[in-house]
Amino acid sequence: MSRLDRTRTSAHQLRPFFSSQNLLNRADGSAQFDFGESSVMCSVVGPAEVKLRDEKLDRATIEVVVRPLVGLPGIKDKAREQALRETLEPLVLSGLHPRTGIQIVVQTMKDDGSILATAFNATILALLDAGIPLKSILGAVTCIVDAETNQILLDPTTQELANAKSTHTFVFDNKSSITSDSTQEDKEAVEVSTLYSDSTGLFSEEEYFECAQICYKAVQAVHGFIRTAVQKKLEKEQQQIHS
Amino acid sequence: MATPAFSFTPSTFQKLHPAEFFRRFTTEGVRPDGRLLDAFRPTTVHHGVISTANGSAMVRIGGTTVVCGVKAEVAEPKLDAPDQGYLVPNVELSPMCSSKFRPGPPSEQAQAVSEAINRVLKESKVLDLKDLCIEEGKAVWVLYVDAVCVAYDGNIFDAALAAIMAALKNVRIRKPTYQEGTIKVSGGSTATDENSFRLNLARAPLSATFAIFDTTLTILADPNVTEETISDGQISITLDETGQLCGVTKIGAASCSQSVMKDCVQSAKKRTLQLRGIMNQQ
Repeated sequence: MSRLDRTRTSAHQLRPFFSSQNLLNRADGSAQFDFGESSVMCSVVGPAEVKLRDEKLDRATIEVVVRPLVGLPGIKDKAREQALRETLEPLVLSGLHPRTGIQIVVQTMKDDGSILATAFNATILALLDAGIPLKSILGAVTCIVDAETNQILLDPTTQELANAKSTHTFVFDNKSSITSDSTQEDKEAVEVSTLYSDSTGLFSEEEYFECAQICYKAVQAVHGFIRTAVQKKLEKEQQQIHS
Repeated sequence: MATPAFSFTPSTFQKLHPAEFFRRFTTEGVRPDGRLLDAFRPTTVHHGVISTANGSAMVRIGGTTVVCGVKAEVAEPKLDAPDQGYLVPNVELSPMCSSKFRPGPPSEQAQAVSEAINRVLKESKVLDLKDLCIEEGKAVWVLYVDAVCVAYDGNIFDAALAAIMAALKNVRIRKPTYQEGTIKVSGGSTATDENSFRLNLARAPLSATFAIFDTTLTILADPNVTEETISDGQISITLDETGQLCGVTKIGAASCSQSVMKDCVQSAKKRTLQLRGIMNQQ
């Protein structure tokens, strides 16, 4: 079955990833992450000075600012800020930088669906780029249940989202991820642990858990991609030091 | 037995180590307020509490009180949807309800709850917006759904959603007649079944929220404000009357296995059924 965007042939196919780190000169870390025609840029500043009011004695304060593609931030962006912050806060080893602030700015560059998932992936790459100590990395994927065919489509475009009966975004960390050397048995036994999940629309319990399973498998590719991106960046840095 | 080097009163212990204090209770399967881990707080629903609004309700879940009023106003429709009205939900968390909130523009939490409720109402197609049309391209009803928190003791999402659904069920709008650019309502000053209409709600989504405490993934139903502050995450599950899911949100540190999520869905089914019973009583 061909998808509406015509570049993909299967329902469980993700759009091509693209990422690039260290784009901004003035930020401590920055990254861009693309899912096809959806693109999000993220910058990280910190650990830096923090407003006295927000200062925490035992850990760093994490501030997330979400900027929309056009116009001023609305309540949708505020809700996204909360989602990002509450998911990232426990991931960052903020106890290592008490009484400081880490500011994360997320800017949508191109919107073709699955923006929240793209934003999560861009943010984790930017945090890695800034050298902020993390407990684990995360990966995010969105899927929809199509209203007509009842099929689960991964990484939907704006056009596909318009035909969705329900929309599901999942974030998984890499603590329990499937590695290439784990056996088939291991892969079956791994329990799917959700870090963040957000679903709207109308759906059944079975649909929800099936979406979680499918997204969990898809996220492994995102985890792998992030790992390769970091590896390449470090190799490049090593070369620069030695040359 | 030797006496310990120093000792606290329970209330000092609670203030110094709130999480450890709480853990002493949860390991025994209870909570400091006497509830079992899976117990929801006593809930009451009152309909039509504001006589000047088109529809209203007040919901109490333990110490959390939310009053919701629905006001219908006439407005011009949007150009891309000339036959559809609007539904504008808003949740207000003012300093009146808790010292947690500061005066000024709405807090992030208030905006996030408003957005979550807006999405539930829109995505699960609670109301056909075409029902709010008076004259295509000329005039439509706009429903301002304002939920004001009067007392805040955690679990604002469940309370606000229940109050909003109860208020929407309670709505009565006068039948309008459109004539050459003017809208008239006829039939005396009091609303009766002949001169007014009620909203045709396709479904009534209600939610159940759970807090995740500790790495042991202890699930606490209907967290109060102290439980919210020490918890590591929250799960909210929204269901309609047929048991169909209208929304699932899981946020926070603890990563949750599928079995935990399944237990929460089961518990949410029971809870929303009970809440529906309370709502339909009066």
